Amino acid sequence: MTTVLAICVAVLVTVSVYLMLSRELKSVAMGVFALGHGANLSIIAMSGSPVLADGGLRNPPILGVADLVDPLPQALILTAIVINFAVMGFLLTLLIVTARRTGTINVDELATEDRPDGGRAGGDR
Amino acid sequence: MVTASPYLVLVAVGAPALAGLATMLLPDARKLTRLSLATAGPVASVVLVAIHLGRNGVSPADTPTGTIPWVPSLNLDISFLVDGLGSFFALLIAGMGVIVVPYARAYFGHDAASLARFFPTLGFFTSAMLGVVLADHLLLTVLFWEMTSVSSFLLIGWDRDDADAGKRAMQAFFTTGLGGLALLGGILLFGGHTGIWRWSRLMAEAATISHDGTVVAAFVLMFVGAATKSAQWPLHDWLPGAMKAPTPVSAYLHSATMVKAGVFLLGRMLPAFGALALWLPLLVSIGAVTMLLGAVLALSQDNLKRMFAYTTVSHLGLLVAMYGLGGASTAEGVGTIHWDLTQIASHALYKAPLFLVVGALAHLVGSTRVAQLHGLWNRPGAGTKAAAAVLLLSGYALAGGPGTVSFIAKELFFAATDHATAAHPLLAVVGVMAIAAAACNVAIFVRLAATVFGLRSGAGDASETPDATHREPDSWSFMLWAPAAALIALQYLGGLVPTLWNRTFSGIEANVHDEAFADGLPWAWEPFLHPGMPLLMSMVAIGAGTALGFSRWMRGDLVDVHARIWPATYRGILRGGHRLFHSLQTGHLRHYLAVVFSVLTLCIGWAAWADPAMLRPPAGMDPFEYPAGLLLGAVVCAAAIALPMVTERVVRVLVLGASGFAVVGLYLVYQAPDLALTQLMFEIISVILFLLVLRLLPRPDHRPRIRVLPRLALASVVGISIGWMTLLAGHAVDNRAEDAPTLGKFFEAHSLEGSEMTDGRGGEGRNVVNVILVDFRGFDTLGEITVLATAVLGVWSMLPGRRRHREEEDLAVDTGQGAQP
Repeated sequence: MTTVLAICVAVLVTVSVYLMLSRELKSVAMGVFALGHGANLSIIAMSGSPVLADGGLRNPPILGVADLVDPLPQALILTAIVINFAVMGFLLTLLIVTARRTGTINVDELATEDRPDGGRAGGDR
Repeated sequence: MVTASPYLVLVAVGAPALAGLATMLLPDARKLTRLSLATAGPVASVVLVAIHLGRNGVSPADTPTGTIPWVPSLNLDISFLVDGLGSFFALLIAGMGVIVVPYARAYFGHDAASLARFFPTLGFFTSAMLGVVLADHLLLTVLFWEMTSVSSFLLIGWDRDDADAGKRAMQAFFTTGLGGLALLGGILLFGGHTGIWRWSRLMAEAATISHDGTVVAAFVLMFVGAATKSAQWPLHDWLPGAMKAPTPVSAYLHSATMVKAGVFLLGRMLPAFGALALWLPLLVSIGAVTMLLGAVLALSQDNLKRMFAYTTVSHLGLLVAMYGLGGASTAEGVGTIHWDLTQIASHALYKAPLFLVVGALAHLVGSTRVAQLHGLWNRPGAGTKAAAAVLLLSGYALAGGPGTVSFIAKELFFAATDHATAAHPLLAVVGVMAIAAAACNVAIFVRLAATVFGLRSGAGDASETPDATHREPDSWSFMLWAPAAALIALQYLGGLVPTLWNRTFSGIEANVHDEAFADGLPWAWEPFLHPGMPLLMSMVAIGAGTALGFSRWMRGDLVDVHARIWPATYRGILRGGHRLFHSLQTGHLRHYLAVVFSVLTLCIGWAAWADPAMLRPPAGMDPFEYPAGLLLGAVVCAAAIALPMVTERVVRVLVLGASGFAVVGLYLVYQAPDLALTQLMFEIISVILFLLVLRLLPRPDHRPRIRVLPRLALASVVGISIGWMTLLAGHAVDNRAEDAPTLGKFFEAHSLEGSEMTDGRGGEGRNVVNVILVDFRGFDTLGEITVLATAVLGVWSMLPGRRRHREEEDLAVDTGQGAQP
């Protein structure tokens, strides 16, 4: 399973970086979203493969039975999911506000608008 | 031998700064109290150092005082080295401080605001400088060294309304600060290589230090620090620039004390590094060039302060060359250095009076230009005449005329070059350069004298209007020239009746190598009784200098080409910074991200390069272990790959959701029901949120995409690196022993009941993940909630409803902005 997970992580990270490098802020937001999934999968891989030697699965980390999976990555991811969601909500709101303020969510257009000197070279210090 | 207590010296070092700070507590009106307090600081230093010396004697160079622990983890503690070199400098610095404080009172007059600012700054400097010369730990020296740079910066840029003063202060700080960094680098290199962090140990183990490449590199770096501080060619330009400072500062810092810090450092380094093959050629060449260049430039200056600044540069060059020649003593036993402290003291004793009297002239005559001094001797006013007398007496000492300590000091240097030439014939060049420099100094005196007495061969006439610095004399005016007179008196006392001088200095001089001067300074007439090469050189210098002084040569401002180095560097730095800023800060999000991701992959790549085992595929790779998991993984990948290819906005969001739901499935395979539940809920909300937001965003423009290939290349490299890391780490977990201790097992063991490790308290819960979240890592969860709350606050503050409301208010104030779409 670890191998499968590693491939998923590779694909998710590749796609998200690709999206984040794009021109539209909407794609960037999707990239951030996908990156969260990739990171979470990468962390859960640290609990080791849940598949036992006989082909069955380990048990969830609830006391009372043997062969539990590692609970720590799960706890970390639970925190990460919530934070991801918070970031997502904030990002989307920011997107709307940006679009309203400037009429565009194009990264290049924003780049020339945001700069204090209007995108031109200038300012000595 | 009993180790001396460090506390007395510590108080001596701190006293000036404390006294200076204490003056700030006094009301402005209490001028005399303030002055007494500020003077008391350096006086206390002199007394305490004297008491220390009286109790313990001048310690050998390898015996420090006891230590006061400070930063044990850095092996840094406070201990002092009160050997001959250190105690001489300490007494010189504190003694000059005692003289400069009352002089500053006379110089600033009734400008109470300036004085209020001046005393603390000066006290800070005095303490820093005392620290440099007394510290035993190398890092402590660097610390105080930087403090002198800072205080020098504050004092050069004293006049806050003068833009040029600010620039000059920056130049000085930049030059000496960079030098300080070089010094720090050298010391770290040396200390790390040899494990020697103390001057005392350096002296004790001087003979055992190997001369390998690292030590040589460390020495060169330390020399760069010393050379910049002591204004050596080609970076000497900051010192004439520093003359923008008020005259008390020029007299104290930039002639008598701070600029000598570099020379002091070389004196400290001589026993340890003098035997290096590089020592003599490096120091002598730089020093000799500085000596001659400074002398020639000094002669052609019109402004007195700049003139004396260049003579300071020249003499600093001489001192560096002196220690450079001393390398021959350390390495080969040739007598090439003798009574170096006398040489240094001699310079301080005539250079400080020269500057002090320039300040007096600025007030009495209203100018510091040579031309304005024409016929000064014949002008009315007792103060004027006294100032003129001190100027000429100091000038005579500058010229090294017989009867002064300076004359003997020059003889000593000439003797050193003579002895060195016998060992290395090439060094004859240094002797010639020294004669030329000495001749320039004589010529300066001749010109000054001719001008002051109003001779025709003097410079210009007094028809120009005086500057605005002229001030009516008050009750303190005598302090403008009296300190200078006291200092210059010492020059003649030592020169004419050397008994006292010899008794003082014979205890502290460490470098005594010349048999001809074995008993110390000779009586004034003795050199003439035993004529030799040094006397001949002196006479040639005096003769040539007198002729040069009366000639028409080298008058008017000769431009120092080195003055261009700093502005060019400054512009270059600004321009480079500007260019760097604009190449890094493009304002394009994807450029920043590209940099971040590139650095990330480079770090991973570097780790792989350092440990090639990282590139080996781990054992036990089996993607077909669990078919259902493989299927879910395939869905995740397929949805992710489809994401950038789909163009329809709604479909894209759905594809994103599909990949998310497949991830939920993977969580289930990984036996994480809590994760699956949470993720499922948030995934649904996210997809709905995304769809809603899409409605509010403008339609995408269909301009051509950014070039796909470089994007894809960077993305693949990042993705594959992270994926590879996951593969390695995951398999490392899979392949580890079943009983390997993990944090997870600790949490499992303590989830329900505690042990002595958790003070007997457990989490009281069977769901380990939940117990971790609310118990073991409760603060993490608190942070998580904080993030969530912050995000909610942010979203709420940006909500369209609130915005509209506020923008309407804005609209009422000024129309034009805030139109609603």
